[in-house]
Amino acid sequence: MQVRKNNYTVNMTPTMQVLTENQIEAIYYAALAVLSETGVRVYDKEGWDLAHQGGAVVEDVQADSALVKMPSWMVDKARATLPQRIRVIGTPDGDGKRKYNMDLYKNTMYFGTGSDTPFTIDPYTQVRRRATYKDVRNLAKLAEALPNVDFFMSLGITQDTAVGTYDRWQYLAMLEATNKPINITAVDIEGLKDQLEMAYIRLGGKEEWKKAPCFSLYNEPVSPLSHSEEVIQKLLFCADNDIPIVYTPCPLAGATAPATLAGLMVQALTESLFGIVLSQLRKPGCQVIIGGLMSAMDMQTAVYPYGSPEMALLSAGYTEITKWMRVPEYETAGCSDAKCFDEQACMEAAINISTAAMIGGNMIHDIGYIEQGLCSSPHMLVASDEIISRTKRILRGIPVNADTQALDVLDQVGPGGHFLGHDHTYNRFKTENWRSALTDRQVYADWETSGCKDYQQRVQERMVEILEADAAPLLEPKMYQELRRICELADARHKDEELDVQMFV
Amino acid sequence: MSEILVQLSEAIIDGNVEDIVDLTEEALDDGIPAQEVLNKGLMAGMDHVGAEFKAGNMFVPEVLRSAKAMQASMDLLRPILAEAGVKHTGKLLLGTVKGDLHDIGKNLVGMMAEGAGFEVKDLGKDITPDQFVSAIKEYQPDVIGMSALLTTTMRVMGHTIKALEEAGLRDRVKVIVGGAPVTQEFANQIGADGYAPNAASAAELARKLVS
Ligand code: B12
Repeated sequence: MQVRKNNYTVNMTPTMQVLTENQIEAIYYAALAVLSETGVRVYDKEGWDLAHQGGAVVEDVQADSALVKMPSWMVDKARATLPQRIRVIGTPDGDGKRKYNMDLYKNTMYFGTGSDTPFTIDPYTQVRRRATYKDVRNLAKLAEALPNVDFFMSLGITQDTAVGTYDRWQYLAMLEATNKPINITAVDIEGLKDQLEMAYIRLGGKEEWKKAPCFSLYNEPVSPLSHSEEVIQKLLFCADNDIPIVYTPCPLAGATAPATLAGLMVQALTESLFGIVLSQLRKPGCQVIIGGLMSAMDMQTAVYPYGSPEMALLSAGYTEITKWMRVPEYETAGCSDAKCFDEQACMEAAINISTAAMIGGNMIHDIGYIEQGLCSSPHMLVASDEIISRTKRILRGIPVNADTQALDVLDQVGPGGHFLGHDHTYNRFKTENWRSALTDRQVYADWETSGCKDYQQRVQERMVEILEADAAPLLEPKMYQELRRICELADARHKDEELDVQMFV
Repeated sequence: MSEILVQLSEAIIDGNVEDIVDLTEEALDDGIPAQEVLNKGLMAGMDHVGAEFKAGNMFVPEVLRSAKAMQASMDLLRPILAEAGVKHTGKLLLGTVKGDLHDIGKNLVGMMAEGAGFEVKDLGKDITPDQFVSAIKEYQPDVIGMSALLTTTMRVMGHTIKALEEAGLRDRVKVIVGGAPVTQEFANQIGADGYAPNAASAAELARKLVS
């Protein structure tokens, strides 16, 4: 579902503001200055040549990299062809219809998971262990069933498959269990090509992809201010093949970015702007989504916090910049630093999800992450779905008009009466009030009779219910075999790179 | 203990990079042997820093400032210690393995190890097994530390250990590994000498392995 923040006749959606327009402009122009005066280091010759042809100054050319400085007009020019709206539509159901539509432009909002965690929490034993193919499929099944999860990323690395080609296996596991749009990761350009091939097969041809792609690619420049060969090559490939590309740095204040949050934002924007310019030089109209995962290093543990207030705040502030720029964006929420699905996990997810929703980012990812993105939690995914739903209720706001003020009803009931049996209550309570089967509001005695279940238990039950529900397979056996074959061929090509010891016991 | 050694260890704790060189010179001029300056001045300070960091009373930037002060003093002491034939804590060769560009954790390990008295040679990121091999020949480290944050690049740690064996270098160095997805079990699987989950324990581990 999408929530438009411009509902009703005037905008009555509750909103939040982090930056003023003047501050946004200050950050934007500072980023232009960094891009043209400090420059960025590019570790790909094709990349720096392309920038050079487009008007950039290329200095300090080394064997592996060059310093690229882009005059600000290059950004202006790139922005003129940069799409303001991008659509990613999921894969077709049995009836051939692609029903999950992600329409990204200013003020639309979609939530999705994070990807590539080495660890996961077992849905039954609740023990933390290495993630497997089956976990990814299970988590995708949960995402498919949860109404507030709009897109999926592989909530776990498949570690019972070949290591060097895990990206294809992950994609297969996801396709087995969800038709929602996917934001994929790729171990390299070859992994990206294989997954594109798989997508063509799944969609029934390249033409269908052209109508709307069914995945975007997650791609991260290296903070501070560096763009690796891998990242540039992926960007160019995406431009050539009409793959929407999420070009999102992960700066960490005090470690890979200035300690001040504004400094980090300037840096992150510089990194994204470089990607925007290069993409448009390669192919005007190339679909780029910029954004972020941004945080400040925890100076006691040295970790990259995913549940901190700074993370939520930076994500929100950056979203405002992207709205001002009219570029589709990527945000972070639904994630935590907790080691298990506990009160901290819920608290952090509740706060960062509601912050993200109040700002209204386009693609809000990392739902289901705990342990700083190193572990996925099916419980967190289910709980976050509820938190999103709750937040969407708040976003619906309080419409105030003659109808909703209900003066006629007030007049009919008058002083001292009640509204319980009134038609107005009967007609309105369902749409006015949010409720959820997971949240408990029983009186104590009833709660006791129903088994004294706390939130964790209720989430556990709901999760198992979804996992065990019968679901018709999304892939025909023949299609599954065709897709699987691509994974196996990749394994065969890369067999020699694997270790001869079992990596994950 | 002499007043100047106390001042030195305080300068380390305060991360007083400005005064540490003068204080070190003063201690040496007073006739205190370099080894004593190191052990009773600098290391006494760093031990305190380490304990305070563990207790949550000092933070990463403060510890790094202390390590920086330590290095400034060591620059003076190192040649004197070498002349006197005193063995330094050890040499640590560091790198993030081939295909991996995550380097902040590795950088932190390097700085913490410097604070623990190591001479650190950081090869950077995206380092191939061959590069490790030739760097070991060149720098003669006591310990090499490999960092990887990707499951795909964790394999390179195994390949590197193999390459060391093939080059006949495996017995000459201790190998330690780390990075977010790396575990003790994995370190055992590939035959590394140690694993540590964070920078402070990495430095401690390296110290243990050379002592
Ligand atoms: C920041 C970050 C990045 C930045 C790195 C910038 C930089 N200059 O380092 C960028 C954006 C470049 C990046 C890129 C990618 N990343 Co990244 N990244 C992270 C993130 C969010 C934080 C890492 C970090 O800096 N932590 C803080 C430091 C201080 O901690 P640390 O590195 O773990 O180091 C500590 C210990 O591990 C230990 N240690 C480290 N090294 C050593 C060495 C020795 C010898 C010892 C003893 C100890 C030790 O001590 C350190 C200090 O206490 C992690 C998530 C996470 N929580 O780890 C993902 C994460 C590591 N990245 C991930 C992925 C998938 C990628 C990409 C493949 C994404 C993509 N599809 O494009 C690319 C790969 C690029 C490449 N080829 O390397 C996955 C890895 C999954 C896996 N195991 O395979 C993670 C877990 C996130 C996720 N779930 O997706 N990433």
